[in-house]
Amino acid sequence: MFLQVNHIQKKYKDKQVIQDVSFGLEAHQTLSILGKSGCGKSTLLKIIAGIEEQDNGHVLLNGKNIGNIKSNERNIVYLFQEPLLFPNLNVFENIAFGLRIRKLASADIEQKVEEMLDSLELKEHSKKMPHQISGGQKQRVAFGRALIINPPLILLDEPFSSLDVETRATMQQLYKTIAKKFKITALFVTHDLKEALLMGNRISYMDNGLLEIFESKKAFIDADKTGVKSEINFWNNL
Amino acid sequence: MSTTFKKRNIFLWLLALAFITPIITLFFLSFSKNWQFPAILPKQFTLENWRYLFFSGGNIAPSFVISLVIALSVATFSTLFGFIASKYIAYHKFRSKLLMLTYFPFALSPVIFALCLKFFFIKMSLTGNVEGIILAQLIIAFPYSVIFFTGFWSQKIKQYEDLVATLGGTTSYAFRKIVMPIAKSLILVCFFQCFLISWFEFGLTSIIGYGKVETLTIKVYQFITEANIFYAALSCCLLILPPVILLWFNKKFIIQQAK
Repeated sequence: MFLQVNHIQKKYKDKQVIQDVSFGLEAHQTLSILGKSGCGKSTLLKIIAGIEEQDNGHVLLNGKNIGNIKSNERNIVYLFQEPLLFPNLNVFENIAFGLRIRKLASADIEQKVEEMLDSLELKEHSKKMPHQISGGQKQRVAFGRALIINPPLILLDEPFSSLDVETRATMQQLYKTIAKKFKITALFVTHDLKEALLMGNRISYMDNGLLEIFESKKAFIDADKTGVKSEINFWNNL
Repeated sequence: MSTTFKKRNIFLWLLALAFITPIITLFFLSFSKNWQFPAILPKQFTLENWRYLFFSGGNIAPSFVISLVIALSVATFSTLFGFIASKYIAYHKFRSKLLMLTYFPFALSPVIFALCLKFFFIKMSLTGNVEGIILAQLIIAFPYSVIFFTGFWSQKIKQYEDLVATLGGTTSYAFRKIVMPIAKSLILVCFFQCFLISWFEFGLTSIIGYGKVETLTIKVYQFITEANIFYAALSCCLLILPPVILLWFNKKFIIQQAK
């Protein structure tokens, strides 16, 4: 397995946010994690990214335990719910941010950023500041900023939840395209049933700090707790 | 022109007049001599007051420099350390208790506070010198700066820092490239406020300074108690000069940048 999570546990004060989570993920796959608010999905991603520390358990990336590695040395990018573009930098510099940290030559940075801007259809916005672009464009810049450093693993924490329905659908398609193009390995957290089904090669459900990965999309649809059946019933009885 | 607009204009002019009149009066007094009741105007207009205070033993120039050194030091240290300390307090699990402590210096009047501290300052040989006054004023300005910056350290700033970390940047890189540029305007405003706190401070300075360190504010009080309104007015003109320059700087650079 490319990513292996073993018996992760996390407690905040008296609340056991993550009870005992274990799963594995192959390279170039996206695992959707569906769950209600407060079920522990964001905490799980933050532990994998190294932003939070687990009470128990291990995270292995490519067979190597990354528990003692600082978040800035893990090379795992965490994408927040909001695009979080740096307000003091323009679109070009936001995308180039990770490359500047890695001290690449200016010519290389320019070439890579231009290519990224091209694939995200953002070329004409490169000199704009974050407040001058739309929500969907901001999210694309956030993707570009993460992808340009070619991280082995990307953690997406409800990245489209703040977008309107149309932009959300466009972004979902864009994600599918770039996931294929850049061979992304990712965990995609969402509370949207349809999004979970669309985005993931594999689908899981998290509830009360426990994670269940389904064998297939059919198993996910058949399980009562995921709410797919009741959703289908709702539309059928309308 | 509508009536409401006219009324608003008149009100603004009156407000401006209320602010400017005392300043004009101060300048007027600083160039005056021999003004005795019931004369409407002074008998003499002269540069003598300015000449005396700067060149013939009035000691205003050294006081101006001392005040400037103290205020700049207090503003620099309190803003810098306040910015850093506020971060640790804002994200600390005992945040509210620690914040409550920072209000403590403001619960007492500066004079009573200075009297409480005097013993420790004497023990540490920090009375009657500039270093002691800087330290004493920092006890007021530093907590102010901490309170000022605590609101800045929001969940969003924390997320920016976490994001920089996952992109490969260290804490100091995030601080230099993202946090500092975002906080730049706030830092300048805090510096300005701390400068003013120090510049106009009298109670702490007179008690800890033992009268040996004569800041411009101390000088003004001396002239007032001597009933020398001309010298007092002149020192007041000097007293308002740096804040006016800072205010202009604030308006020109910070407000324009925000626009």
